[in-house]
This record gives sequence, C-alpha cells and structure tokens, in this order.
Amino acid sequence: MNATVAALTSRSLLGRNRTLVLLLLPLALLALCVLARVLAGLDADIERELDGSLAPDLLGSFGIATLMPLLGLIAGTGSIGPEIDEGSIVYLLAKPLNRHTIVVTKLLVAIGVVTAFGVLPIAVAGIVLTGEVGTVTLAFAAGAFGAGVAYSALFLLLAVITRNAVVIGLIYALIWESLVGAVVPGAQTLSVQQWSLAVVQRSLGDEAERVGLEAAVGFGTGLVLLAVVSVIATVYAGKRLQTLRLNDET
Amino acid sequence: MSTVELHKVSRWYGNVVAVNDVTMHLGPGVTGLLGPNGAGKSTLINMMAGFLAPSAGTVTLDGRPLYRDPEIYREVGLVPEREEMYDAVSGWRFVLANAKLHKLPDPEDAARRAIATVEMAQAQARDIRTYSKGMKQRIKMATAIVHDPQVLLLDEPFNGMDPRQRLHLMELLHRLGDEGRTILFSSHILEEVEQIAGRIEVMVSGRHAASGDFREIRRLMTQRPHQFTIRSSDDRALASAIIAEPSTSGVELVVDASGGSVVQIQATDYSAFIHALPQLTSRHGIRLLEVRPADESLESVFSYLVAR
Amino acid sequence: MSEDLPTARTGAIHDIGYRHYDGPRLGTSYIRRSLFVDTLRGSYGLGRSARSKVMPFLLLAVMVLPAAIMGIVTGYFGAPSLPIRYTEYVVILQVAVTIYLGAQCPAVMSRDLRFRIAPLYFSRPLSRQQYVQAKYAGMAVALFTLMALPITILLAGALLAELSIGDQLPDYLRAMAGAAIYAVVLAGVGLVVAAMTPRRGLGVAAVVGVLLVLSGMQLAVRGMATEFGSDTFSGYTGLLSPYTLVDGVVTGVLGAKSSVGQGPPDAVGTIVFVACTVLLVLGCYAALVARYRKALS
Repeated sequence: MNATVAALTSRSLLGRNRTLVLLLLPLALLALCVLARVLAGLDADIERELDGSLAPDLLGSFGIATLMPLLGLIAGTGSIGPEIDEGSIVYLLAKPLNRHTIVVTKLLVAIGVVTAFGVLPIAVAGIVLTGEVGTVTLAFAAGAFGAGVAYSALFLLLAVITRNAVVIGLIYALIWESLVGAVVPGAQTLSVQQWSLAVVQRSLGDEAERVGLEAAVGFGTGLVLLAVVSVIATVYAGKRLQTLRLNDET
Repeated sequence: MSTVELHKVSRWYGNVVAVNDVTMHLGPGVTGLLGPNGAGKSTLINMMAGFLAPSAGTVTLDGRPLYRDPEIYREVGLVPEREEMYDAVSGWRFVLANAKLHKLPDPEDAARRAIATVEMAQAQARDIRTYSKGMKQRIKMATAIVHDPQVLLLDEPFNGMDPRQRLHLMELLHRLGDEGRTILFSSHILEEVEQIAGRIEVMVSGRHAASGDFREIRRLMTQRPHQFTIRSSDDRALASAIIAEPSTSGVELVVDASGGSVVQIQATDYSAFIHALPQLTSRHGIRLLEVRPADESLESVFSYLVAR
Repeated sequence: MSEDLPTARTGAIHDIGYRHYDGPRLGTSYIRRSLFVDTLRGSYGLGRSARSKVMPFLLLAVMVLPAAIMGIVTGYFGAPSLPIRYTEYVVILQVAVTIYLGAQCPAVMSRDLRFRIAPLYFSRPLSRQQYVQAKYAGMAVALFTLMALPITILLAGALLAELSIGDQLPDYLRAMAGAAIYAVVLAGVGLVVAAMTPRRGLGVAAVVGVLLVLSGMQLAVRGMATEFGSDTFSGYTGLLSPYTLVDGVVTGVLGAKSSVGQGPPDAVGTIVFVACTVLLVLGCYAALVARYRKALS
C-alpha cells in the first residue's frame, strides 16, 4: 500500500463525470427504498411485504445484482484503465515500486469507493426498509461488501489485460451472471453474484427461508470463491503489470 | 558512471521488425538518437527504459539487464513522449508525488529544485490540464530529474517547445552531460541534435545506420549531391549564374512543350547552396517562383549512407 | 518557397501553384449521407479494425441466437405457437441491447470529442443539426437492424414450423414497428449519455448504468405498485424505463399485448405514453445539438 499512489488514484478516480455516475446508482436505490417506505405507510399490504420479500428483492436484485457489479466496474476499471489508456501509468512504473504494491493500492482505493458508494448505501437502504439495523441490513451489507471486493479485483485485472475491459466486464456481469445464469443453472456456480448471495443467505440465518432467498451455492463455497478469486485476480494483475506494454497513441 | 549497453538487440512484433540487430554503447555525456519517424527510436528507448524486452540480444545497465527490474529507476530517469499526465493535480503536487514515489529522503526539497531547474516555479500551483504543451514538457523533465538520476532517457523532448525553451533545455542537458551523466535523447530534427550531442546514433528503418561524432557524419552527408528543381522569372540567367557558384556541380535547363522551363541543379554543398541562392537571385534581379528540393527526406539521406 | 527580392519596394503574393477547384461539388446532402453511412457502418465495426467488429457482432449473435433456437425448438416439437410473442423479444433481451448501446454509442460520439475532430466536421458545409441528425440516424438504423433481425428470424422459424402466416403477421408487424420506435428512443438516450464524457470507458459504463438503473427502478416500482393494488399506478410505472415506455406505446397504440403485464391504463394513458416518447426523443436531440455547441472549441 503506497500513500502517494493511493492519492493519485483517488484523484483521478473521483473526477467530476465519474463521481456523477457513481452517485446515480445509490441515489436510485435510496429513492426506491424511500418510495417503498412511503407506500408502506399508505398501505398495510405493502408494509407486510416489506417484512417479507420486498427488502431482499430490492437489496438483492437491485443492490447486489445491479448496483455492485456496475460500481465495481466503474471503480475497478477506473482505478487503472484510463492511466493505461493514456500512457500516464508510466509515471508509476518508472519508479522503484513493486508492481504488486501498485495493484494492491489501487484495489484498496477501488474497494473504498465501492464501499462508500455501494455498501454503505445498501446498509442505509436496509435501515430505511426494515426500520432497524437488523439481520437483513447487516446480511446484505456483508454480501455487498464481498461482491464489491470481488468485482473490483476482477475488473481491475480486466483493465490491465485489455482495453475493452468495461464491455467485457459488462458482458460477464449482465449476460453471463443474469441471462445465461437464468437459463443454464451451472453458470451460476461461476457467478460473483451468487457467491455474495450465499454470504447473505448464511448471514440471514433463518430469515433467509422466510424472505425466499436462496443462493445457487453454499456459504462455504461462496465465501471461499469470493476470497480466492479476489486474491488470484490481484496477484495476476500485478504480474501482468510487470510486463505491461506502453503503447503509442493508438 | 553508468553505461547502457545494447548488444545485438532486435525487436519484432509478429512479422514487423521494429529494431534490427542494433549494437550500441552509451557512456557519459549527451548522445543523440537520430532517425526519421518510424525508425524504431521509441522502441529502442522503451527497451533501454526497461519497459520492453528485446526479442533477441541484451540490453544492460552496468551489466545488469534492464527488463522487469523496478530498482533500475533509482538511477534511470525517463521523459516519455506521450503528453498525458495526471491532469487533475497541480504541477507541484505531481512532481512532489514523483519524488515521493522515488522514496527520496527529502521529497519537497528535491521537487522544489527540479521545478526551479525547469523554470516552472511560477505555474506550479496550477493544474496540469491548464498547461501548454511546452509547460507539460518541462514538468515531464522535472519528474525525470527529481531523483538525480545517472542515466536520463528523453523521447522526443523538444516536441512542442518554443525556441527559448529549447535553448534552455539544451543548456540543461549540456550541463547534466558535463556532470558525467549518461544522457540519450531522440529526435528527427538534425539541427536540434547537432547543437548539443557530441555523439549521435542514427536509426533508419530499425537498423543502426551510423554512429559516432556528429560533425564527421555531417561531413559525409554534405558530400552527397543534392538535387533542386527551380522555376524562376529568368531560368537561363539563373542557370548561368548558379553554375558559377562553387557549391553547385551541375545545372540543366529543361524546357517543356509549351515553352515553360525549369532549372535542375545539382549541389554538392547543401548549406552553402541554400545560402548562396537568395543572394544570387537578388543580385541578378531574378524572381524565384518555385524551389523544390528533390529527394531530401532524412530517410533517403541515411539510406544513402547505409548503402555506402 | 517563393521570395520577395530584398530590394523590391512593393510586395506581392505569387502564384506558386496552389490549385483551385472551381468545378461542381457534391454538396451538403452528400456529406450528410456519408456521415450517416459511416456512423451506421461504424456501429458494427465495418470500415474499422477487426477488433472493433468483435463486440457488435458478438452482441448481434447474442440477440439472434435465442430467436433461432426458439424457432428451431418450435418446429421440432411441433408446438402450436412460438414460446414468446414478437413484441416481447426486445424487452426480454433488453440487457443485450443495453450492452450494445453501451459499447457502440461512445464509439460513435466520444471519438470526435476526445480527439477534437468535431471542429473539422464543422469547417465543412455541415451544421450542428445536420451532424447530429446524421449520427442519430446512423445509430438508430444500426439499432433497428439489431432488433429487426432476430424478430424476423423468429418469423422465419415460425413459418418453417408451419405455423400459419396469417396468425404470425399482425404481431410481427407490430414488433417491427416497435423495433423502429425502440431504435429511435434508445439511440437518443444512449447518444446523449455517451456524449457527456470524452472518456470511452466511462461512457460505456454510464450508458449501461443509466439504462440498467432505470430498468431496475421500473421493475421495483412496478412490484410495489402491484402490491399497492392500483392498476393505474402499475400501468404508469412503464414511463420510468425507455424499454417499457416504448412497449407501452406499442401496446396502447398498436394493440399488442403488453410485455410487462400491464400496459398504459387507458386512452389517456396511451396518450401520455406517446407524448412522453415524443418528448424524450426531441429532448435527446436537443441535448445533443446543445452539446456540440461546446465542441466547436
């Protein structure tokens, strides 16, 4: 972890346009939750639903399935992609700095961003929906954090490997995890989304059945895979950075 | 004392050979890497900077291979060609960050000195995105010298600099070279190179075309006959006057079917000729309508050299 | 080079051979057509490097494959009808369309902005509006192709499965009309978001992010509305996402069955949906034209 690299990364990651897009996502989630709460105040049925599957639906399919991959994509690729594209990464590489240190530092910044713009809002959303800092809130926050770490690591690696990192990441997160996963159940074992839902399921304990949440993999598998994939992605990204080719302006 | 050695270095990308069997020895002082665009200069500098591995041969700094060794950057400074930096920070912050990344004991002091050396103290508080091209080049220079490197590699450093900045950079490089550092800069402009480089290395189409003292190579170049095609208000008068000049070796008056004519001149001393021509035409009251040097690309010049 | 004699008292600019062209020129309509064709081809990577063809064709394949499979399966099992309605196809596969938009809109817009080529376009007899129109039209046609192709393949599959063409045609035609409206609306939204940033990577994420968030919100709000028990509210939630907006128009105006359960509530609802669609398209067009006011610098 290198403070200077972290400072430079945060500065370029939180530029005006990117921050706007990053803000859009949690704001949408919170708007939905506030709307749900308001409707619940007006209708007893909805109030009951809030206790039931509505919260996991919102926090799960919107929060973990949509928000976290997008945030991980923007933060993960944004923490190193533009520098590689523009060639300004040479200022980090032409230094007596361990390449792994660079990658880990950038990853930590990305995780920080993802936590601030994703995990915390999801926790807040949980509080808004359930009215308390209870199992649901904590469970989804935990799952979101796991997803955030894994997505950030994966997409950072993608950004080191290819210039089309964002589109490929989108195809993975949206088409593979959702579309293909819905049709080909086997695909779900290779899905960060499912691994983090497994974490949520276990954290919910008995609540999980009541709210109808079921992940495609078990807790142990999910947690281990989240950790392993994150670590391997980070290590490999460091290796690839050692041999990164600095291109001309094409 | 730091020497960069290239021994039989080649680099290819699939079927394209960017650098072809280059052997070079870079010692203390300023060396100019000269060659037309696409000659492989940037590839060579990338290899010397440790960012590219040679497909064949070795690139070493004091005997140690350069590739994949971040520690070399304690002694090597690089001024990259590309313009983009961290636009969102100020010049001062950026140079300071570079100093910190070099793990210098007193980064603020080093940054201050570097910025003073490139005369950017006035603008250092502004964001880099507001800088002109020349200012960005100077900040790049500051980041490259902030850690007082023994080896300095500059990729087209004079790009975008106005004459005054160019002069200043030349003085700086001269001074650094006199201090015993090994400095290599690339350019495709002969005149830039001639003013500071003692030694030059010439690259053409990936091959090492010439090396050695600049004046010697220049002399070889000027011995080559140069062709000019000129249209004027009085071609015949021009032709007879120009052949009297010692810098020309041949003249031909070419008349086409409609009666228009051009004068084709063969000059053995290029610079003397282009100085003599305007003086001559003004003395004889001849108006020049078109002066076209034939075949003057640097590439052809050096190809000629290579063919010898 | 041409020279003035040092002793001359007058100055003159000499004819040094610059060539003048006074002949017929092709005119603005040619420029617009060329820009349109170039945008359209560029959306599929044609006329660019091999690498830029991968994404669009991959996504085209993703769009077409399910249609082909459904057609084959219907024929194989001798089912009396296709598993889905023609008008549902785009809504079901909206993720693929969204990703295509995300991948290609920045390629259409941000190149000119990032490398400051835009002023070059405007130094020709081409107004801002015409520039935007050509790009918009190019992207819209590209999108139309992306949607029309699989829908047509679905029809082909149905016909090969010996389903009656009279049964298939009305809904097919509705779906094609819908595809045209989708194309115009989505192209507008995608291009506007993409034109906001010169950075390509961020543009991709922004376009996809915006569309996904809107879709997700629409889904969630509809869910809540259904719980709430109000069909009107539920119907109007379709306004939230471009996909459901257009689907609402197709349902309300052309009489298709809604792909999202509940179309616009009644005639008033239909009018609202149509009005919103028109406003959205005009708004996107205006925003794009305004964006290029700055790009002249």
